[in-house]
Amino acid sequence: MLKSLLDRFQRLNPLLFACMAGLIVIGVAFVYSACSVREDPELRMLYMRHAEVGVAGLAAYLLLAWLDYRTVIRRWGGLVYLFCLVLLVLVPLVGEARMGAQRWLFGIQPSEPAKLGVVMLLAWLYSRRDVKRGAVMFFLTVVAVGVPAVLILMQPDLGTAMVLVPTVFAMLFTARVAPRIVWSCVLAGIAAAALVLSLIYTAERAELPRERREQLIAMTQLKPHQVRRLQVFLFPDKDLHGSGYNRRQSEIAVGSGGVWGKGYLKGEQYMLGYLPPSVSSNDFIFAVLAEEAGFAGSLTVLLLFLGLLVSGLWVAFRCQDDTGRLFCVGIITLTFSHMFINIAMTIGIMPITGLPLPFISYGRTFMLTMMAAFGMVQSVSIYGRESETRF
Amino acid sequence: MESYGQKLTDSWRIALFALLIAAGIVFLAVSLHRVQVERFSVLALDQLRQSVRRVQVPGPRGRIFDRNGVCLADNRASYCIAYYVEELRKRGRWINTIRAVDADVDRLAAELGIPRQLSFTAISNHVLQSLPMPLLAWRDVDQETLARWAETVEPFPGVDVFVQPERIYPQGALAAHVLGYVGRDRPLPLPGQKIHFYLPEMIGKQGIERQYNPTLTGTSGGRLIRVDARGYKHAVWEGEPSVAGADVHLTLDIEVQRALEKVLRGWRGAGVVLDPRNGEVLALTSSPTFNPNDFVPVLTPGVWKRLNDDPALPLFNRAVLGRYAPGSTFKPVTAIAALRHGISPDMTYVCGGAFELGTMRLRCWNTYGHGEIALRKAIEQSCNAFFCHLGHTIGYAPVYEEARRLGLGTPTGIDLPSEGGGLLPTGAWKEKQMRDAWRPGDTCQISIGQGLLLTTPLQMALLTSVFANGGTVYRPHLVRRAGLPETLNMMDWPPAAITLVRDGMHDVAELGTGRRARVRGTAVAAKTGTAEVDVGGVRRKNTWVTAFAPFEQPTVAVAIMVENGESGGLTVAPMVHDVLASVFGETPREGDDTADTAAPEVRGD
Repeated sequence: MLKSLLDRFQRLNPLLFACMAGLIVIGVAFVYSACSVREDPELRMLYMRHAEVGVAGLAAYLLLAWLDYRTVIRRWGGLVYLFCLVLLVLVPLVGEARMGAQRWLFGIQPSEPAKLGVVMLLAWLYSRRDVKRGAVMFFLTVVAVGVPAVLILMQPDLGTAMVLVPTVFAMLFTARVAPRIVWSCVLAGIAAAALVLSLIYTAERAELPRERREQLIAMTQLKPHQVRRLQVFLFPDKDLHGSGYNRRQSEIAVGSGGVWGKGYLKGEQYMLGYLPPSVSSNDFIFAVLAEEAGFAGSLTVLLLFLGLLVSGLWVAFRCQDDTGRLFCVGIITLTFSHMFINIAMTIGIMPITGLPLPFISYGRTFMLTMMAAFGMVQSVSIYGRESETRF
Repeated sequence: MESYGQKLTDSWRIALFALLIAAGIVFLAVSLHRVQVERFSVLALDQLRQSVRRVQVPGPRGRIFDRNGVCLADNRASYCIAYYVEELRKRGRWINTIRAVDADVDRLAAELGIPRQLSFTAISNHVLQSLPMPLLAWRDVDQETLARWAETVEPFPGVDVFVQPERIYPQGALAAHVLGYVGRDRPLPLPGQKIHFYLPEMIGKQGIERQYNPTLTGTSGGRLIRVDARGYKHAVWEGEPSVAGADVHLTLDIEVQRALEKVLRGWRGAGVVLDPRNGEVLALTSSPTFNPNDFVPVLTPGVWKRLNDDPALPLFNRAVLGRYAPGSTFKPVTAIAALRHGISPDMTYVCGGAFELGTMRLRCWNTYGHGEIALRKAIEQSCNAFFCHLGHTIGYAPVYEEARRLGLGTPTGIDLPSEGGGLLPTGAWKEKQMRDAWRPGDTCQISIGQGLLLTTPLQMALLTSVFANGGTVYRPHLVRRAGLPETLNMMDWPPAAITLVRDGMHDVAELGTGRRARVRGTAVAAKTGTAEVDVGGVRRKNTWVTAFAPFEQPTVAVAIMVENGESGGLTVAPMVHDVLASVFGETPREGDDTADTAAPEVRGD
């Protein structure tokens, strides 16, 4: 027993753990920064909640690392997926609305574990020998991912729904499922994005009559606030006090940090409220960090993410079975998408979407989900190197 | 277990993802480098621009002194009770904060037992427009209220005492028309700098305060306030310090000024005392006057109404803006013009009590006539008939030219913000204004200082100073200057002519109508005048005395004008005496005062 425990411990990927722990420590530190200016004593203690979730997440991490991921994914993957689906259905029925969106159910956001559920489901599905990897499988995937994605979109939470797309495509690509359809879809997706952007660009740029402009914008099939975010992305200086405000203020925060930053707890953008306190501890936490720690701090975070993601892929690379490989690829792609979109929107090179920065942003459900997911990646590191025949 | 078999995935696909992720992170690193390193200075400046507000802080205003260093205008500390709104901020809409401040002002008013001065509108304007600045709830509070504030038991967060400099005129109403007064106003922005907020600055509104405002004001300093996204003050940085304004030293002699104001008290009139050697103004007043301290800290509507509605026009500076016929005090000008234009000093004229010209008959004050009279005696006796004859003989042009060169008809250019020029008419002027030709009668009238001619008391003082110094017109000025005095004109009078006129004026003080102006121990020359004017259908007499002393080496030239007096000799001459006495002092009396005993005999203008 002790020997096997020691054996498992030696198989842990230390870089994977170290990078995650580093990001969480940074997260607690800057959530403390961001919430220190809040008047409400409960909000002022937000960093403690973040740290508590870190501790709880560590327990989940260790537990899931200790359990064999094959058992977890193959036996429970489908159930986790179904359970999340039920929660997502319940959200519009009994969930609570905050800031214009109905995302919460008993204090958690079911859309976050749903992402993990989808990855687990697909990792299980694609690694089965008895499934065909043709068009049928592809459409099965579309349905399996489509149902929770539509439920999430209805909340509305475009960002979370969108982040599923690269994750699923990365898994389809790795599993070699219907490569032609996958590539066609990727190209079609790029074309659709280009079309939407060009529609909005034409509507804003060209001197068109009002009804024609509204017609063009209606063709994008997007909600008004989503259209506004894309407009801000295309024309950043258009509405600096309205919908472009957050983008502008986070750009100022990041830029005014300079090379070495203003020093810990000395960020002015969040302290003076130019960066709204409602977003500074979650979606825009990177702006707080970049202002206080400068380019040096930004680079540190990027390097930690690089270490985390590459060691995650290294675990997949070393893994001997498809379940572990696909799961790792899914989780790493999901994490990367979150990180990339979040940092890119903070500096204005992507449209604003409410996506948190993994391990750093305040957000308890997301944090717990991500730690659980990386616990399972760690489990792949421990058990995935053994060949199937030894079972 | 078979259902999961061996792996179907290719390792190269995973390696490809690693490359893609690394590329994505490099892309982010490059983008962050662009924002944080390359655009750092631009964005850091943008941040300052949106969060830093400049407050212009005026420098202490310069003081005003008389020629002997007596302070005439100073600054004192005024204690205000001020609200710092950021301490009382409420969340949500602005009206919550405005209401909180409003309620607190009521609470504090009850605690201090003073009525509130601040309206709800004033509070909301302050919150919406100048949030980071102190909100002055009570200005210039007394010591008792301050003491009560210090002992307040209840806590009043966000309330503090705010000290503000305020103008004070230690001499009260003395020289008010010279000093002027200040008001509080928006300051001018420093060149190239935007002001977001300012502390209201003292700005000269009248008199020396206005004329020398740029000197007195000094240079404003700046204070930078860091405001948060809602506009509340977060931190203050001291910027460049303000520089105090320079002091102004006047030529006024406060003792002479005091004497001049004392004699004019109760009258409507004006007086000017000049130094004939350089044009320095030793005293200048207009009566009635006002107290410039009433304009501090702010002019209340009640005081303003009282000053404006007073028929005696206390705010009106008669000394430089009044327009008065000079009467007989003008006669020396006619005399010197005649002497320059070929009239012999020994020429005589027989005064029969009036001067007749066609149908016009100008009466001499001596109805019995002066008989045969020569120039020196005519000045002493102030014979109207003689001067009418003189003017008629030489014509208007020489008289006009002499008067013009002495500064009549145009402002003297004294360093006060507004000055009138009186009226020295010409034929063309009369043609244009009255649609009537110039007649010999006009010349005769002007020769005795009546008719269309109008002068300011300052002009008459200047004219007198020219007779005193023998022919140099210096620009009158109130602020002491280094270097030579500014000369407006050299009269180039023939020495014999000026000597004769001066002798005549000496006789006026020694023997004639100006005897009451005499000062023991000092030889005085004077000229009295009584101009009859029509004020709204009522005949009034504006009475004058012009004088200079000491006769041989004059250091003082005076002109005093009193509206509605008895006569120059009776009403004004004693005033001139008191003013001259304040300058020269008076040797103790020896026996009878001839001026007093001779009083009943003083007749004429």
